[in-house]
Amino acid sequence: MNPNNQNIAMVTGVPSLHAPFLHAPETSRSIFVTIFAAACIPLGAGVVFFGWRALFVAVLSVGGCVATESAYYRVTRTPALFGRMHAAVTGILLALTLPVSVPWYVPLAASVFAIIVGKAIFGGVGHFLWQPALVGRLAVTVIFAPPLFSVNLLSLPTWSLLAENRIIMGDAHNVKPESTYRHWSGTPAPAEADAFALRRPRSRLRELTMPTEHPPESIISTLRHMPPVWDLIRGSHGGGIGETCVIAILIAGLYLIYRNYVRALLPVMFILAAAVTVAIAPVRTGAGLAWQWFPIASEGFDVGFVYTAYHLACGELLLAGCLLAGEMTSRPVTAPAQAIFGIMCGAGAILLRLYLPIPIPAYAAVLICNTFTPLLDTTIQPWMFRRR
Amino acid sequence: MVRPRFGTFSGGIDLADEKGATIDSPVAPVSRLNRIRVPLAPVDTDAAEPTVRIGQHVSRGERIAEASSASQVNVFAPLAGRVSGFCTVMLPAQPTGWRESPAVELTDLDPPGNIEPLTENFDSLAADDHSLRLRIDEGSLVTFNQSTVALSEWIASAEKADVDTLIANVMENTPFVTADHRLLAERGLEVVRGLAILARAIGATRTILAVDHRRIDDYRSAVAPARLYGINHIALAHKYPIGAEAILIKVLTRRRVRPGADGLQVGVAVTDAATCHATYRWVACGELPTARVVTVAGPKVDKPVNLLVPFGAGVEDILESAEAGAESRFVYGSAMTGRHLVNGVVVSSATNALLAMEPTRPQSPTQCIRCGWCGDNCPARINVASLNDDFELGRTDAARRKNVQACIECGICSYVCPARLPLMQRVKLLKQTIAGRLGRSGAESHLQSHKKVGLRSASSQPTTDNQPNEPE
Repeated sequence: MNPNNQNIAMVTGVPSLHAPFLHAPETSRSIFVTIFAAACIPLGAGVVFFGWRALFVAVLSVGGCVATESAYYRVTRTPALFGRMHAAVTGILLALTLPVSVPWYVPLAASVFAIIVGKAIFGGVGHFLWQPALVGRLAVTVIFAPPLFSVNLLSLPTWSLLAENRIIMGDAHNVKPESTYRHWSGTPAPAEADAFALRRPRSRLRELTMPTEHPPESIISTLRHMPPVWDLIRGSHGGGIGETCVIAILIAGLYLIYRNYVRALLPVMFILAAAVTVAIAPVRTGAGLAWQWFPIASEGFDVGFVYTAYHLACGELLLAGCLLAGEMTSRPVTAPAQAIFGIMCGAGAILLRLYLPIPIPAYAAVLICNTFTPLLDTTIQPWMFRRR
Repeated sequence: MVRPRFGTFSGGIDLADEKGATIDSPVAPVSRLNRIRVPLAPVDTDAAEPTVRIGQHVSRGERIAEASSASQVNVFAPLAGRVSGFCTVMLPAQPTGWRESPAVELTDLDPPGNIEPLTENFDSLAADDHSLRLRIDEGSLVTFNQSTVALSEWIASAEKADVDTLIANVMENTPFVTADHRLLAERGLEVVRGLAILARAIGATRTILAVDHRRIDDYRSAVAPARLYGINHIALAHKYPIGAEAILIKVLTRRRVRPGADGLQVGVAVTDAATCHATYRWVACGELPTARVVTVAGPKVDKPVNLLVPFGAGVEDILESAEAGAESRFVYGSAMTGRHLVNGVVVSSATNALLAMEPTRPQSPTQCIRCGWCGDNCPARINVASLNDDFELGRTDAARRKNVQACIECGICSYVCPARLPLMQRVKLLKQTIAGRLGRSGAESHLQSHKKVGLRSASSQPTTDNQPNEPE
């Protein structure tokens, strides 16, 4: 008899020689396939509102990620993990964060950064610290902006949005500003163009905290210039390809929660923390520009609630909370650590949006919190472990 | 009367049952055997001294070996036959692996029989507790669960621990296995009476028969008289691993078994249907335990059955009689916690199932993607993902603080792991290292060999010539 039998079986990597002899059907690869499918839902919404160019950006981004991963592993001779499916997931998440109007080389550059800097130099799947798609997004945001590049490609003053009668097939680059635009549904396309050039709703909200030439008189006057709330929920406003459609993002997020890939705690805490931060964080309005704490109550709760809802529905906040912060490797493992992680991300996203003029506040918050993931994992040994 | 309040446990999974093939098939006798090899050390101590010569004819139930130590039991011939020699067989060892046992080989065997109805010749209800215990001592009974001990010794340790609750665990919530279920469905009254005898022998004031709530209809006629014997029968939900001892005790009695301890320390003894049945057959009817019900099932078995197999029958013969595919992966015990079969294993009192599983392509473990499912589903509430980190980095000291000893080795972490990491095996190794069984150097050599071999095998193309170390 050989007491080392089992251990030999273990180290030689033939797992079925010891119990359990059954396995759940789910593998790492199938997890990535499912996340890819879930990410296709916001992408589909993006294709509707931003046209075939959104699909083009997504194909470039996914293809770039897969090609970069293949090339990296070909060069370094390290074995490819999970059949490059994880690279495809990274690619599609990256595409969701990009604006539709970017030239072809931006998604390619972003995917190279995502795979090489975000993933490969850490050792591949399971080892990286920062969410790779966001690393790619951050890299192109820095590179294709004035100090390094002649024009700012990713922080645009106006973002294109296809008109209702030009959806899917319209060309998002064929764009004209429309001064009389009030709401999306029913507004025909501008003459000889397919798309409107619109300000992001987020930039109007940011006027409440960041100095501009014409500071808003009050929160309610800012809200009057916002698109109707149904436009925000449906996704017919300016933004990244997958950032705008609240319905699609929530469906994708709920599906991942249903499949147990994301604990509901994380996105819920993310959104709750963001809402609470919006409700508390001071804004300045009126002639004197005095800071006013608790904007949720300063002009009555009705205005405050609408203000909070607008903040939650616009921008990249929901995408970051539902799909990007919940990425498995870069989030903490245990439930309490995930709750803290979600709170940090949500509060950080709103604080960065309100008080720092950076184009990707929510993504930056997620990246910053990813840095603390190993710390959260090691320091928080939850009480629920060690109790049956 | 105070209504009993039951606890529950967090973690656990809803495991597919897959018992359909054998759940309704009555216990059948095994087909005629050419030879049996009766182990002389059913309990893992000094083997019993054989009292037979080669060539001698023995009848069924005749003593063939005499116990040499107090914790060993006498061995009886399971079938009538001729002693043809002495050999060595393999039996499961605790906690893992196999042990060798000397054995008596019998040939020219009578055909094995089924469970026969017997008449009671000993009034166990009228007998006092002391004479019950003496009667059990005479029978050379062993426990029928995974860790075989002499029943008299089990009773003595339960008495010493001042046990007040006896639980018969008929949950059987692992896939494929139906041996205890069939026994309770067909011989329910005998099981219940045996349980009552055991309860009196260990002096338990509360006796619980824990069954699966989905099978309660099959047991209803059999366990109806249980109340007469003061036994509560309780149907529990089937979340895996409710059949594990520490979990069952926690659910039924709300007492917490300390990590690494067994139920006796909180005053609870756990037994199973086969032990109760054997106890009744011996104490009341005078039949020696020489066989047990074994489930032969699994996806690769053509004719899944529940067989009454005499002790010492080779598992190869049993699997062959059930037409198990030769290509399959044979498992001894349950699919979640059993062991991979080796050559020379015979049926003993611990054999509740023989399974033939799909010989799936060995899936190499890949990187942990930190999904956290191992810890989420762990019924012992261990942070398995963080223990896996400790294992890979060789940090036994860090693992010591994370409650490794609480692991009940149910196998859920390995089952759910999408990266197919042998997590249960790793936790077990950490557990052994920390308990000092392996020694520090032993653990480190395991870790070293794991790093060398395990990660190379994790590559998708293991044969490429020039492979630098994978970054970690």
